[in-house]
Amino acid sequence: MISIKNVHKRFGKLHVLKGIDAQVSEQEVVVIIGPSGSGKSTLLRCINYLEEPTEGEIVVDGIPLTGEANINKVRAEVGMVFQRFNLFPHMSVLDNITLAPRIIRKMPKAEAETVALDLLTKVGLADKARAYPEQLSGGQQQRVAIARALAMRPKVMLFDEPTSALDPEMIKEVLDVMKALAEEGMTMVVVTHEMGFAREVGDRVIFMDEGRIVEEGTPEAIFANAQEERTRTFLSKIL
Amino acid sequence: MDFDIQLVINSFPLLLAGAVITVQITAISVGCGLFIGMFAGVARLSKVWPVKTLAAVYVDFIRGTPLLVQIFIIYFAIPLATGHRMDPFVAAVTACSINSGAYVAEIFRAGIQSIDKGQMEAGRSLGMSWAQTMRHIIMPQAFKRIIPPLGNEFIAMLKDSSLVSVIGFEELTRRGQLIIARTYGSFEIWLTVAFIYLLMTLTISRLVDYLERRYKIDDKH
Ligand SMILES: Nc1ncnc2c1ncn2[C@@H]1O[C@H](COP(=O)(O)OP(=O)(O)OP(=O)(O)O)[C@@H](O)[C@H]1O
Ligand SMILES: [Mg+2]
Repeated sequence: MISIKNVHKRFGKLHVLKGIDAQVSEQEVVVIIGPSGSGKSTLLRCINYLEEPTEGEIVVDGIPLTGEANINKVRAEVGMVFQRFNLFPHMSVLDNITLAPRIIRKMPKAEAETVALDLLTKVGLADKARAYPEQLSGGQQQRVAIARALAMRPKVMLFDEPTSALDPEMIKEVLDVMKALAEEGMTMVVVTHEMGFAREVGDRVIFMDEGRIVEEGTPEAIFANAQEERTRTFLSKIL
Repeated sequence: MDFDIQLVINSFPLLLAGAVITVQITAISVGCGLFIGMFAGVARLSKVWPVKTLAAVYVDFIRGTPLLVQIFIIYFAIPLATGHRMDPFVAAVTACSINSGAYVAEIFRAGIQSIDKGQMEAGRSLGMSWAQTMRHIIMPQAFKRIIPPLGNEFIAMLKDSSLVSVIGFEELTRRGQLIIARTYGSFEIWLTVAFIYLLMTLTISRLVDYLERRYKIDDKH
């Protein structure tokens, strides 16, 4: 589903990604962990070209990420959920969700709204369709953001620390939605510090440090039996 | 020195008619300026460098030269090159529009840049193009934020439009000059003219305050 080959990313002199190779198969849930500044967000953002790799090749669902047309096509197939939600504050929840399907998929308003309401029901917010983002709690906003991404019927969902900006009591409601999504067979790449989630939902865990993939494996293999010293040091600090 | 109140009363209708023209030329100029400035402001943020450079040159040139000189260029210099005389009204509106556009461009640029970067990223990540995201997500939010500076630009243009009196266009200031030429009532007329300007600018700033408050309540952020 996603194929990443020898991807480098430089910000000026700063070499952030130093040759990343990774594959994500259909229906797989890959969790990326690693210390701050190791390039997790940058890698995720390269997958939908919010950052342009300096070098290397990324193919999503058979479409290489080159040329503006392809990039927009891939982005429509790849949903992204941000740490800070990034809902559109000037639109109601319903409009947040229906905007992209109406513009890009040319979906009629009524149909888009039906889809949106279904998705809102799924994330447990059917009664908030007419609300504005600022009237919602962080957890509710993040669930709307997930619904907004799902409205494009993406084949892959990317999550960049979706619960890091949330109060502890709201983390679970968001993780539960993500878990349900994984159970439905969505292909997901998740950057998170929620090790419980990684263990329970992840098919594979990738540990990144200093712009490289240090180690990857099943959650059991990584958490119980990491091969690399750096992985163990990192895990001992956060577990 | 006597204050000739009768002169003020007699000239008032004529001056008010001039004030209406001042408002008209300002409204048309800022209206056109809004249109020009919206595109120029967005162009300044473009990643396509010829577009960006062109917009920057325009904004710098207009903001770096006096409006009076710009009016002279349009009314006197350009007709010399083209061989066509220009109607004072057209020249006045053209000069003021082009001038206003540059200031409005900067207002738009600042307004757009004040919108969280995450908004553009969210739009793009949904598959919308840069232009679609600008139109549906960034601009509507930027519009609300730039109401106060746009109000200030309107007030500035209202005052600066008095400069078009030099090409004989009969707005408020020019009317005042003409009445004084007939009556020698310099003191009365200039005070009256100033009073009318003040009345207009105060009204507009109240209006802007009102709009700002209304939109603040409405600003879902
Ligand atoms: N647009 C940018 N310009 C310059 N440097 C950047 C940019 N984006 C990220 N960086 C740098 O790249 C490095 C990796 O950043 P990245 O956000 O990918 O790390 P991360 O692993 O997601 O960290 P965190 O856990 O803190 O989110 C950091 O040193 C960061 O400062
Ligand atoms: Mg990050």
